[in-house]
Amino acid sequence: MKPIKIEICLGTTCFVMGGETLQNMGDMLKKKYGAKIEVEAVRCLEVCSSDNFSKAPYARVDGEVIGEASLEKVQAVIEKKLNHE
Amino acid sequence: MFIDVGCYQLKKAKQNAYGDYFLSKRDAHGRTIAVLSDGLGSGIKANILSCMTATMLVRFLEKEVPIKEAAEIIMNSLPVCQVRQISYATFSAVEADEQGNIRIVEEGNPSFVWMHGDTPQKADYTEIVSRSFPNRRMKVYQFQVEQGDRLIFCSDGVTQAGMGEKDYPLGFEREGLLSFLQSTIAAERDISSSQLARLVVDKALFCEYQHKSQDDISSAVLTFRQPRKALVFTGPPYEKHKDREYAWQLVTFAGKRAICGGTTANIVSRELKREITTPVTTAMGALPPLSYMEDVDLITEGILTLTKAQEYLEEGRLNEADAAGSLVEFLLSSDIIEFMVGAMINQAHYDPALPIEIEIRRTVIKNIKRVLEEKYFKQVNIHYV
Repeated sequence: MKPIKIEICLGTTCFVMGGETLQNMGDMLKKKYGAKIEVEAVRCLEVCSSDNFSKAPYARVDGEVIGEASLEKVQAVIEKKLNHE
Repeated sequence: MFIDVGCYQLKKAKQNAYGDYFLSKRDAHGRTIAVLSDGLGSGIKANILSCMTATMLVRFLEKEVPIKEAAEIIMNSLPVCQVRQISYATFSAVEADEQGNIRIVEEGNPSFVWMHGDTPQKADYTEIVSRSFPNRRMKVYQFQVEQGDRLIFCSDGVTQAGMGEKDYPLGFEREGLLSFLQSTIAAERDISSSQLARLVVDKALFCEYQHKSQDDISSAVLTFRQPRKALVFTGPPYEKHKDREYAWQLVTFAGKRAICGGTTANIVSRELKREITTPVTTAMGALPPLSYMEDVDLITEGILTLTKAQEYLEEGRLNEADAAGSLVEFLLSSDIIEFMVGAMINQAHYDPALPIEIEIRRTVIKNIKRVLEEKYFKQVNIHYV
């Protein structure tokens, strides 16, 4: 099974709005899901300037953008994807 | 030729102000002016005297008053101490252009040292006697330097360091300085002006009684060499169709290259089809971490990092471990720094919901330019794209 790819945005807006805490999230997720996921930081997802998404900070799980991302929200999406498969 | 200017100073122990004063300016034609002045005594009185002398000289030279004339006016107008019958402030003034033409005027300071590689050179001078004070003379030099040459100026705190000590009965002296410069330069041929100035001052301090400065100790160095260039690309360009052009300009730049900005890094990555990697590191302090891309020496986040770097430069904090510290190191290791500043504004940065206020990029870059030029003697150009 291909690991789920999680990208954490570390652009200016996301970082100011909580990206710093999101980054520690990477470690926590890695501990919990191990090889089932792949965590990466990205410079900027370039969604903050568009109104189509709710609010920074953002993360992306297998291409799906999550606004106001938090550990719980990202975890929920991962669980959904894991159960789906 | 690029003129790398560096200076390092120490106060006399227990004083709260520097009695020596160093000023340097570079004008639009590439002419560099530098003045080192030593005020009589130490502490705040000496500081005022040397500051006044150095500022006046630099102003005169800036206005293109011939250096000899400017020095003469100052020498004739500077007061003489009633008690000691010596002038209130001594000075060395140098004017240098990019072709290597040098003019130097000295009054009272130890003679400068001219090094060609690690070999000291001799420069001829003419002596001019002050009209109003016949015991005051100034030396006027005019000569030409080559690439790789250095001019080292110092206050008498260097040559008289350690005076009276067993190892240095007459002080460190000019001979001590010369042999120290020879061995230091021989060991590190590419040493920067600021590093060399610092080593000279540290050496002088080492000679002093109990390693405490008995006088103000200053050293200023001018190095003539090929400029080291750097380009910093920050902010998305205003015209999107030119993205590719600017991306190529960055990676083909003859010098060191940096990107400050997530979107900017994405643009370069997209246009040149080069991957960016951002390692997820847990301990990264208050700034987003560095990223990596082929042919780019440094990639950081934009405005937060730039703002922090400005703060570090202004406060002289040059050894910070975060991304802004890396940017400071990048900037200070270059002589000529080009900023390619994208004019596009990211509205999301000005969302009132943001917990901190984010500066406008242009303002930050302008501030960085100012501090790099005034405090670190760099040449900085800004291009808006």
